[in-house]
Amino acid sequence: MLFSPKSDWLGNIKGDVLAGIVVALALIPEAIAFSVIAGVDPKVGLYASFAIAVMIAFVGGRSGMISAATAATALLMVTLVKEFGLQYLLAASVLAGVLQILAGYLNLHKFMSFVSKSVMTGFLNALAILIFMAQLPELINVSWQVYALVALGLAIIYLFPYVPYVGKILPSPLVNIITITAVAFYFGDESMNIRTISDMGELPDTLPLFLWPEVPLNIETFKIILPYSISIAIVGLLESLMTANVVDELTDTESDKKRECKGQGIANIGSGLIGGMAGCAMIGQSIINIKSGGRGRLSTLVAGVFLLILVVFLSDILKIVPMAALVAVMIMVSIGTFSWTSIKELKTNPKSSSIVMIATVIVVVWTHNLAFGVFTGILIGSLFLAQRLSQFMFVKSEYDEENDTRTYHVVGQVFFNSSEKFISYFDFKEAVDNIIINVKRSHFYDITSVAALDKVVIKLRREGADVKIIGLNRASETMMDKFAIHDNPEEIEKFMQGH
Amino acid sequence: MMNKKYILVGIDGSAISDSLVQYAIWLAKSNGLTIKILHTIEHSHKSEHSHHEGNLTPNIRRELLKELSEEERRESKQLIAKGKELINAAKETVLKAGIENVIAKLRHGTLPEAIEDLKDEISLVMLGSKGKSHSDSDTGLGFHLEESIRATDTPVYIAQKQFTQPKKVMFAYNGSPTSKRALNMISQGNIYKEPLDIHVVCVHSDIKQAEKLANEAKSILSQTNNSIIAKGLTGDTIEQLTEYQQHNNIDITAMGAFSHGKLHGFFFGSFTTKMIQQSETNFLLMR
Repeated sequence: MLFSPKSDWLGNIKGDVLAGIVVALALIPEAIAFSVIAGVDPKVGLYASFAIAVMIAFVGGRSGMISAATAATALLMVTLVKEFGLQYLLAASVLAGVLQILAGYLNLHKFMSFVSKSVMTGFLNALAILIFMAQLPELINVSWQVYALVALGLAIIYLFPYVPYVGKILPSPLVNIITITAVAFYFGDESMNIRTISDMGELPDTLPLFLWPEVPLNIETFKIILPYSISIAIVGLLESLMTANVVDELTDTESDKKRECKGQGIANIGSGLIGGMAGCAMIGQSIINIKSGGRGRLSTLVAGVFLLILVVFLSDILKIVPMAALVAVMIMVSIGTFSWTSIKELKTNPKSSSIVMIATVIVVVWTHNLAFGVFTGILIGSLFLAQRLSQFMFVKSEYDEENDTRTYHVVGQVFFNSSEKFISYFDFKEAVDNIIINVKRSHFYDITSVAALDKVVIKLRREGADVKIIGLNRASETMMDKFAIHDNPEEIEKFMQGH
Repeated sequence: MMNKKYILVGIDGSAISDSLVQYAIWLAKSNGLTIKILHTIEHSHKSEHSHHEGNLTPNIRRELLKELSEEERRESKQLIAKGKELINAAKETVLKAGIENVIAKLRHGTLPEAIEDLKDEISLVMLGSKGKSHSDSDTGLGFHLEESIRATDTPVYIAQKQFTQPKKVMFAYNGSPTSKRALNMISQGNIYKEPLDIHVVCVHSDIKQAEKLANEAKSILSQTNNSIIAKGLTGDTIEQLTEYQQHNNIDITAMGAFSHGKLHGFFFGSFTTKMIQQSETNFLLMR
């Protein structure tokens, strides 16, 4: 799986290198911010971002997509770090990677087809809200100077691109970091209480080293980390596959989803083994990459390598960067991730879609686990679909006086949710000689619907009518052959006695 | 195999494309197959003006999508217009040569992708070896050549020299399963039905073995309407074969191709690729 077409690597060298550098600069504040979310030293997120970006460049299934330490996965680690410490997190990252590789081999990426557009929008909105909420500790109970710095940072991020010439060349998040750092350095003093990155913990001072996580290799450890690893693996794949879809759509190219699953797994194992946390693909960064002209695997590689070089050699400068500058970047990421049009669309979209979207958001924000939100969204969406399908099922009937025959025409999908309704259409009190049930324009999906048809037939026969079923299509017929009893005399006997 | 539908001629507007069409006419006149002229529209999927602001503005996804699709739409329109000129000119040439069965088509994507998609309809693929992006370098193979050849199990004809009526074919034979399949294919005589001079050349470390293999192949090919010469050689395979091509004014080198997988080629370089690079003849590759 190391082999990729040459054009994936060398098809867009200039665009990829420049975009990779832009992405690396934006990745640094994010990696630090996500380390803070997870409750580990910034170096854990930075090493992770380096390891994941570099490895996914080779083993990923979607060229031009950026993967690194992410908020979605960081949120899942909080209690593990708090209760058991960093080493258990590293072990959990490795295990999550193993699970993802397994998911790749089991073709679990195919389940993505259950994720509807509404669920995806809910996912993104929830992610945006969580990223914003993670900034709150830096925004509550702080001096007015910190607010001023954040506001200045945001102004630079959004307005600097309008500056002629340089605005289009220098990434505005970087300009924000440099400016805020300079302002805080020259005008700041102790009383303002301006927190800097060094207050958050250790930064990388060396190149990463290969380290086996220091945890006892026993079943106890496994039991501790497994639930976390499962969550991380699922959320990581969800966000990665969604991001891959976004990149596919933006670039009008295709990606190898199975390879992406396995690739994410390999990258997380690698990250865990050099002291990094687990991560996944990042929607915001991938969009920045595409927007900056990145298309190939080279962009991802450059982003990872450049990030490490910057961090290791500039760690002394990084230390004095105020958190306010990072918060500004993260608010930008949050605003960019949120789907603002989805709010406007609440009025125009079908209510069921809006409910699915909002339910997804609520469950995620409540549980801090994107997977729960997605499952909820899928579940509610499926229920709505079942309801909708039932509405399209009806039975009309006609009576032929000459032959004393009542014919029922069944139209639509008969399944667990519409079976009751199906039965209610029949008039069991009517005394007729012959009854024909025409099911040509219907489909019987499950044993509930077959049982319903059985019940109808048997009941009508008891009332003394001769019942005939016509127009069973082949798929329904298989269901009937296997599970129906109305054509099986012995079974009918049993059934009748039971009444 | 020859009951499939057409000869796929992939043109890209490079120097060799005109000759390639001539070779296609030459082959189609003999085997009676339809010629399908194909030009692929390769999207760069790159943005003309990239932004390095590095920030995310509200609804960026939607706006970026709009911008990129608009850009690509313009690019596609241009490429389609250019491609139409190319294939229509080629079609005109084929019609003028008196062949009625000719189709001219454009497809999105790369040539290997197109071959992969159409592989059930193709009986022979014809390509130019110096693709447009490599016209200036001497040894450069057409960008997608190897991938294209691997994408199909039909014979692939590769044009590398300007058109002259081909007369002499060198069949490089070494007794391997791939070359036996190639031998079988040539002996059926479906690709080109008129008589040619075929030189069966076998290079082996043992000259006796070389001659023996060459003669074996000769005896099989003698049943066709071609005139056959068998030659055993010893030494470096590529060196000997290319020397033989030059001394005997060979027009087409026929051989089995890419018998090893991609992995082998990655580490050791592919014999087929090297052979094509160092030869000046056209090629008929059989898989």
